[in-house]
Amino acid sequence: MAALPRRIIKETQRLLQEPVPGISAVPDDANARYFHVIVTGPEDSPFEGGLFKLELFLPEDYPMSAPKVRFITKIYHPNIDRLGRICLDILKDKWSPALQIRTVLLSIQALLSAPNPDDPLANDVAELWKVNEVEAIRNAKEWTRRYAMDN
Amino acid sequence: MSVDEDDSEMDFSEDDCGYEDYYNTAEDCDVEQIDLYKTDPEYFAFECLNVEQVERLLNESVEMLSNNLQITPSLAKMLLHNHEWGCLTITAEYRRDAGRLLVTSCVKPPVPPDTSNSSSSVGMRISCPVCVSSILWDKFSSLCCGHSFCNMCWAMHFEVQITAGISTGISCMAKGCEVLAPEDFVLTLLTKPQLRDKYQQFAFKDYVKSHPQLRFCPGPNCQVVLRSKEPKAKRAICSYCKTMFCFRCGGDYHAPTDCNTIRKWLTKCADDSETANYISAHTKDCPRCHICIEKNGGCNHMQCYNCKHDFCWMCLGDWKCHGSEYYECSRYKENPNIANESAHAQAREALKKYLHYYERWENHCKSLRLEEQTLTKIKSRINIKVMNSSGTWIDWQYLMDAAALLAKCRYTLQYTYPYAYYMEPGPRKELFEYQQAQLEAEIENLSWKIERAESTDRGELENQIDIAEKRRTTLLKDFLEV
Ligand SMILES: [Zn+2]
Ligand SMILES: [Zn+2]
Ligand SMILES: [Zn+2]
Ligand SMILES: [Zn+2]
Ligand SMILES: [Zn+2]
Ligand SMILES: [Zn+2]
Repeated sequence: MAALPRRIIKETQRLLQEPVPGISAVPDDANARYFHVIVTGPEDSPFEGGLFKLELFLPEDYPMSAPKVRFITKIYHPNIDRLGRICLDILKDKWSPALQIRTVLLSIQALLSAPNPDDPLANDVAELWKVNEVEAIRNAKEWTRRYAMDN
Repeated sequence: MSVDEDDSEMDFSEDDCGYEDYYNTAEDCDVEQIDLYKTDPEYFAFECLNVEQVERLLNESVEMLSNNLQITPSLAKMLLHNHEWGCLTITAEYRRDAGRLLVTSCVKPPVPPDTSNSSSSVGMRISCPVCVSSILWDKFSSLCCGHSFCNMCWAMHFEVQITAGISTGISCMAKGCEVLAPEDFVLTLLTKPQLRDKYQQFAFKDYVKSHPQLRFCPGPNCQVVLRSKEPKAKRAICSYCKTMFCFRCGGDYHAPTDCNTIRKWLTKCADDSETANYISAHTKDCPRCHICIEKNGGCNHMQCYNCKHDFCWMCLGDWKCHGSEYYECSRYKENPNIANESAHAQAREALKKYLHYYERWENHCKSLRLEEQTLTKIKSRINIKVMNSSGTWIDWQYLMDAAALLAKCRYTLQYTYPYAYYMEPGPRKELFEYQQAQLEAEIENLSWKIERAESTDRGELENQIDIAEKRRTTLLKDFLEV
């Protein structure tokens, strides 16, 4: 395996030394480009109290290409589909090599605080979020309790 | 013409980007063209260019704009690409508010860069925000937004973008910065020859696609670019690979139907292909003796090999009632009372109507293919005749001409069916269907005769050709709107 670029080493060091509040990102023992991520459900969101597992992978051409991120824990969210794929502009066309793993994780945390049903990935969830927000939030809380707590 | 008018024309031509010059400006040519437009509804002025010619054409515009505005050619190219190569509009816009134009075209950042701490000294090292390595300051580059990154990172950024098929749309690496990288910036920093080639190919495609007067020939593996001063839904034919297409939408030529209607029709046909499948049979039973008949020519006028009954392949009616005066087979008779029928009956009626038009559309398409085979047969038949001293090549040429015209007429006829399908009922539709029926009758007549031509007696057939082509142009004159 090719030597790890300085940029990745630096980012990893900083993530471990000054972690983002509510987020832990630890590189895999066997592969320094693979991170085990845990995001705490933000306060005052239907995901509050939950711990959400994600996987983050830095592709060969990182940072010219965006990291690949996916939820492993099931989550009821209009911008995250059943496979855990995330609809987030900075992970696609709005990616910039000047962005970092840290910024990506912060953006994902922000997405949990403010779901955006107008730019949906999970269509049925987004639909319910638009027509009946109360019920959608109830579902999200239920899923959080069932899949993201004490496991 | 007065002297003043002459002067004003001079003024005008100085400011435009040589577009007028490029075309024949001689007046007699223009007059000729206007006449052609009147007599031939399908007349369309275009030229076929190779890659070098297109590059020359684009460079002329770039040079002109760069001279007009005193800007770099690279910048001029970006502006042209962003504004459909409209030199005049860009010049006017630039003179009105250059700053706004450059910002909206993503050439300049909305806020000018901060240059306060840009002092540098020999041997100074700076940390690159992307690779976080400390690198000599002169190994850094930035676009006009001032976002500075090391040259290695720029090159890698370009590589990833180009591999993803992006060229003219590559932007700055800074977060949220939309400033585009001009061609010369990319080519200066991109070192791999393979990637440079790729970049230039992609950029060339982007430039042609953004140019309203240019179209890539849709023919397979064809490099030709067609150019027309008036990019209309007209028939363009590539002089190199002979592909015929609609200049506006790039699809198969579709007169008299317009681009939107044909797209709607083709989508509908694709969606309903299941329903329509059962009719694509190649065999039908003779309506009199019920023996199975295979259609092996383009002509709809069938003759049963068993009982010699003449009938119509489309409607299975007696061919006798398909004379040109009372040819009814192409027309769909709508139920005038349909609005009062049940929803179920209406759905059935809608399907019946669609199938009527689809069957005829599909049938002409098949006939075209079958007649191509007929043409091969005719050619070998002529060969044998000439070898047996029955006429010369020239004597038989008329038959080839007739077959070519038949194909042209049938092609137009095929495209009259989607047109008719979407027409509102009324006198205009009646006129259209009348002309369509006339053309239909003429073509089946011609097809029958061509398949059976045995003599060099060309008189009758040539007469028939004339009539068919007249009917075709009349229909297009009356209904082709571009
Ligand atoms: Zn920038
Ligand atoms: Zn760098
Ligand atoms: Zn071609
Ligand atoms: Zn078209
Ligand atoms: Zn029969
Ligand atoms: Zn018929």
